[in-house]
Amino acid sequence: MKPARALALAVGASAALFAQQFKFDLDRLAAKASNTVDVSLSGPLLQLGARFLDSSDPDEAKVKKMIAGIEGIYVRHFEFKQDGAWTKSDLDGVRSQLKAPEWQRIVGWNSAEEGETAEVFLRLEGSKMTGLAILATEPKAFTVVNIAGPVDLDALSQLGGHFGVPKVQPDKPSGKKK
Amino acid sequence: MTATVLEPPAKTALDFAGLMHQHQAMVFSVAYHYLHNRDLAQEVAQEVFLGLHRNLAGIQSPAHAAFWLRKVAVQRSIDEGRRRMRRPQVALEDVAEPAVAAAPGDPLLGEILRKLIATLADAPRMVMILRYQEDLDPMEISELLGIPLATVKSHLQRSLALLREKLARRGLGER
Amino acid sequence: MDWLEQELKSALARKDPPPGFAERVGEAIDRASPGAASKAGPIASRRVIAWPSRVAQRWLAAAAAAVILMIGGGVGYRWHRGIVAKRQVMQAFLIAGGQLNHLHAHLKEVSQ
Repeated sequence: MKPARALALAVGASAALFAQQFKFDLDRLAAKASNTVDVSLSGPLLQLGARFLDSSDPDEAKVKKMIAGIEGIYVRHFEFKQDGAWTKSDLDGVRSQLKAPEWQRIVGWNSAEEGETAEVFLRLEGSKMTGLAILATEPKAFTVVNIAGPVDLDALSQLGGHFGVPKVQPDKPSGKKK
Repeated sequence: MTATVLEPPAKTALDFAGLMHQHQAMVFSVAYHYLHNRDLAQEVAQEVFLGLHRNLAGIQSPAHAAFWLRKVAVQRSIDEGRRRMRRPQVALEDVAEPAVAAAPGDPLLGEILRKLIATLADAPRMVMILRYQEDLDPMEISELLGIPLATVKSHLQRSLALLREKLARRGLGER
Repeated sequence: MDWLEQELKSALARKDPPPGFAERVGEAIDRASPGAASKAGPIASRRVIAWPSRVAQRWLAAAAAAVILMIGGGVGYRWHRGIVAKRQVMQAFLIAGGQLNHLHAHLKEVSQ
């Protein structure tokens, strides 16, 4: 499988208002999680948050630039004390929505040894990217991300290596920041 | 990490009784821990909820109500404290030594800590209450009190150091 | 958090007000409502015209402060929401970027 590549995408002149692009029916997991991150930002509230980003800070400036074309960002991240809290049906419940024709799975990762999976989907209208979905699981964690709008995947990926979280090196253990 | 859900901007119907039930412990406790007087704390808490009742139409959401109540509880407590000069005129040396050393988790130690908190100056006292009762981070405290972040951090550091010193002098502290 | 901070959290844990608090607030609201004086009768009505009692003064002061706070507080609350929204934006991008970066690293490892 090819690594995810940056897609240089022009921001479309679309007047459409993007909302969350697929459902997160994950209340069952929220009830069992020891830690939860639940973000739903769109429209005026997303723009309000963007206005508070500091342009003099390099990382916040990058995020500010990325937000410019985005209509919404939705994240559910759950951490559990024990294995087995999430099941395949939880994952399939989200994944099945991403089988719709407008979604294209561009990369997937499955490590039986580490019990990790990760998938990235792009929502396309013609050649224009209109959304991003990430599904990621570990034995004690479950993450779903939907970004509505065009996203610079390279810039987003680089962001994962900043903010004090070291970039993951193949020969070093991963250090997930809480 | 905590669960955070941003509420939609649309106004929702607010239930005064429900809000009071949900937040009365917070409001009362801010006042009590600041003033260290149960009756005064009750009066202040009563006034805060009266104010909420009068201004309910201007409250946008349950989250706004929580924010508003905390802010008003803080301000009214500080005002009441200044009005009555309720900073207890008890020297820390007068805070009686327990006959038996208090152990961590001991209610006696808790009461000693509450008394010591009540002897702090206005600003550090409220900073400590917002940090350890309300679990606010320094930036949130800075926003709520309208004081610089560096000042909040300084109050926290100095107050903790002072408390450690006072407890150590009494043979109380981490085992 | 060290032991002292844990003890402080415990010592400063929220406590409910004494029993009957909600009822007392309800009574105070009733007393402060416009209809209360006329219901009480003519003598009480004359008293309403007189200078407010000390207790009523405190309530009026609290209400006035609350109105001022509402005007400024609306602006303060919007700023608070902005700060909260900004933190959530950063948190969301961190999580999304972290997952992509993690995936990228795994795939790079496989391709080498």
